[in-house]
Amino acid sequence: MQAVILAAGEGNRLRPLTRSRPKVMIPVANRPIIQYVIDALLENGIRDIVVVVGYRKEYVIRYLNRLDVPIQVVVQERQLGTADALRSAESEIAGDFLLLPGDNYISAESIARIKGERNAMLVAEHPSPSNFGVVVIRNGWVREIIEKPEEAPTFTVSTGIFSLTPDIFGYLHTNELPDALSSMLESGERIRAIPAADWQDAIYSWDLLKMNGRMLRSITPEIGGSVSSNVTLRGTVRIGTGTTIGPNTVIYGPAIIGDDCMIGAHCVVMPNSSIGSRVKIEPFTYVADSLVMDDVAIGSHSRIVSSVFGQGSVLGDHCTTYPRQALFEVGEGVLKAEFGAVLGDGVKAAPFTTFKNCVVGNNVIVEEGRVVVGLVEDGVKVI
Amino acid sequence: MCGIVGYIGRREATPILIQGLKRLEYRGYDSFGIATVGSSIEVFKKQGRISESEAGAVSLAGCIGIGHTRWATHGEPNDINAHPHIDCRGGVAVVHNGVIENFTELKRQLIERGHTFRSDTDTEVIAHLIEEHHHGDLLEAVRATVPHLRGSYALLAVAAHDRRIVAARDCSPLVLGIGDSELFAASDMTPLLDHTERVVFLEDGDIADISADGVEIYHQGEKVQRPVELIDWCVEDARKGGFAHYMLKEIFEQPQAFYETIRAGVDETVRNLVLSADEVTLVACGTSYHTALIFKYLAESLCRIPVRVELASEFKYYTPPISGLAVAVTQSGETADTIAALKMAKAHNCITLAITNVQGSTITRVTDGTLLMRAGPEIGVAATKSYIAQLAALMQLINIRCGGVFDEVLSHAHLAIGEVLMRDIQDAVALCRGAEHIFFVGRGPFYPVSLEGALKMKEISYVHAEGYAAGELKHGPFALLTPVTPVVAICPPGSTYGVMVSNIKEIKARRAPIIALGVDGDSELAEIVDIFIPLPDTHLLVQVLTSSVVLQLLAYRTACALQRDIDRPRNLAKSVTVE
Repeated sequence: MQAVILAAGEGNRLRPLTRSRPKVMIPVANRPIIQYVIDALLENGIRDIVVVVGYRKEYVIRYLNRLDVPIQVVVQERQLGTADALRSAESEIAGDFLLLPGDNYISAESIARIKGERNAMLVAEHPSPSNFGVVVIRNGWVREIIEKPEEAPTFTVSTGIFSLTPDIFGYLHTNELPDALSSMLESGERIRAIPAADWQDAIYSWDLLKMNGRMLRSITPEIGGSVSSNVTLRGTVRIGTGTTIGPNTVIYGPAIIGDDCMIGAHCVVMPNSSIGSRVKIEPFTYVADSLVMDDVAIGSHSRIVSSVFGQGSVLGDHCTTYPRQALFEVGEGVLKAEFGAVLGDGVKAAPFTTFKNCVVGNNVIVEEGRVVVGLVEDGVKVI
Repeated sequence: MCGIVGYIGRREATPILIQGLKRLEYRGYDSFGIATVGSSIEVFKKQGRISESEAGAVSLAGCIGIGHTRWATHGEPNDINAHPHIDCRGGVAVVHNGVIENFTELKRQLIERGHTFRSDTDTEVIAHLIEEHHHGDLLEAVRATVPHLRGSYALLAVAAHDRRIVAARDCSPLVLGIGDSELFAASDMTPLLDHTERVVFLEDGDIADISADGVEIYHQGEKVQRPVELIDWCVEDARKGGFAHYMLKEIFEQPQAFYETIRAGVDETVRNLVLSADEVTLVACGTSYHTALIFKYLAESLCRIPVRVELASEFKYYTPPISGLAVAVTQSGETADTIAALKMAKAHNCITLAITNVQGSTITRVTDGTLLMRAGPEIGVAATKSYIAQLAALMQLINIRCGGVFDEVLSHAHLAIGEVLMRDIQDAVALCRGAEHIFFVGRGPFYPVSLEGALKMKEISYVHAEGYAAGELKHGPFALLTPVTPVVAICPPGSTYGVMVSNIKEIKARRAPIIALGVDGDSELAEIVDIFIPLPDTHLLVQVLTSSVVLQLLAYRTACALQRDIDRPRNLAKSVTVE
């Protein structure tokens, strides 16, 4: 069986993190989200994989090329929609195939449930179904798909994972896939609804923290770097090669630290933390429930809690993230969310900065001692 | 130039040879050919590069074979001059990379002795010489042949009814790959990556007797042992993947090439060589010459050490007074002119250092120390990631001389390179694609950056481009400025900023359109130029890198717009192993 992974979209609700990489390439537990999808397919023996790339495609292709399994890449020149993305892969598809979004986590068991089916979709329950295609099911068959409704009739949503036959190409009249499925239903075709075993999406940047915690549960322990003798490690901890951990540091897993990092003395890394490669953390800094990407530098005596730090961000000493609940303007609506801070790539913060439940754009510069709240656009100087 | 491959083992040789030749196409693609030993010697050769249809159509039988992809030196590129070459009776086939300097003389003698020549190549004399000395033992025949040859060669020979390949090298590269009951030979490691990671580098003067079970190497008649080394390149790096061109792939690999080179650091030998030098001479060709020039600008001002930069191809024709540290900069480690220049420096009692991308390459055998850059295999003919990795290596030398003050700058430089890869330069491309001439100007270290920008533009887009020190434009080239001659100006802040801005205004007054590279937020500059491309506001060392990358992208996108054959620009080959 073939599989088509859609990896062309930006995932703009995750901005500012998607400026230099598409959503599928955002690292969660130090691996891009698309890797989890590929792994689930491989575990099911599905090796004929087509990936549709588009937005920042060079980064996706570079990553895919380095995998052991050969992957067919197709380019969607303009990101018009999911149906258009599928259409660009049409020439590569020979028979029945699985269609998956590359930017959600899906378990191998879920794939096993759907892979033999002809015209089926994986569905899942979600507390806020309005962000998804809501699926009305009767006797295990899909009756209706309502795309992002304001008032959802049920909590069952589409995971975007389908088992399809090449007939689907006859229904791609618009650029959106849900339209094609609706017209399939209208013409009398039947689509089975199969509940997913485990599936997770990150809609907004702070949702990545939950996904990160979930993915950290499946890491394997390994100590690749040089760890001082009096470091305390507890739980599942994975440390990459070339990383040095200073004396008296405490790491409670599940936690992962990438390659070539320098974690100073007397640091504390609490559970559900991912630290990328080439990250430098100065002594006496506390990190918990956070996702720190590559090349970040954090000064001493800092406190990083429930935060996402984009690649190459540099924070001075005594920087604090302060988790609390606040309201965010997202698109048309307002959303309540609780987290510390989401920083884009290349944010520079001087010592004594406090981030209070904020989303900070790429390359923002913060001067000494400021308190940053709310949304800060790319490239802004906070003075 | 040219690339050669050989295979002996249990599998059919043809597909392995064809695949190997495709990997070596960057060394030349005027013609290709293979010969296999089955019941007799079979040969297939053809002008032009290997197309998909032909690759499938070649079906020579046999588990022993040799192949060749050619960059023409002697004799025009046609079917007859393509390698392999065979002797009069068709009992011996030879592929050869290098130049036989005394071939006219040898050819005359051989014709007098009754040999019939088919091609105009220098290589064919080797086939006939082996024929003369061949009395059933191919190894002995090659041994007896090589003393007659003057010049450079890496050659593979096979004979009918003889289940082995005999290889010989002198001044041209040859690597053996050790597989499982099979052996491979190639001009460099790229064709071997598919099959094995264990390699043996042959030395100049070595003759190797290769059979499926193993290899025996002889040097000056004595049997010798050469160490088996492990290569750390992976085959994925040598594949194009989903990229439109190798060049684009390699442009996007530059952040990694830079930080890998920085991370690998500098060994103690090289560190001591650099710290103890009181003057430095760099020899290089092409793009490497430009990186050497950038080093001169940066090192002389930052570490107060006199630096001289010489074109390797010129260096050996005069004898400059030379002392101190001599550094050869070459991606392949095989550039003939650079090796010759370095040998000359060595003859002047200079301490020598090689900066190269290829482990085990010829230059590393000549020098006192080697600083490897970690770019991985570079396949695109236009140098991109090797340029950035060379700068990484050279900047490390500066950092060492300055006591590590640039540690922080260098360890974060790859982020800035990644940043400029996202720049939208469509307006600049639209301007360049319609131009007949383009000027690139800069001052200080940005002068060699301009030279490199112009080189990339000519090399792959075939648009005539010249790099100038901005102040020199007034001394002549101004006469060429017209409203359809774009000028690309690199104008970051610093000591040269003010005078660059006045240069730009002078150019503007001649109504030439200007594309300027300046730092993000420089509204003064953005207002006076036609197209402004912002660079991240970073350290001088990093601006050299980011501006270079933008110029690479400009050349690449312009060449795309003009539909040029980017990975195989006409008349060019990657490693220039002839002088």
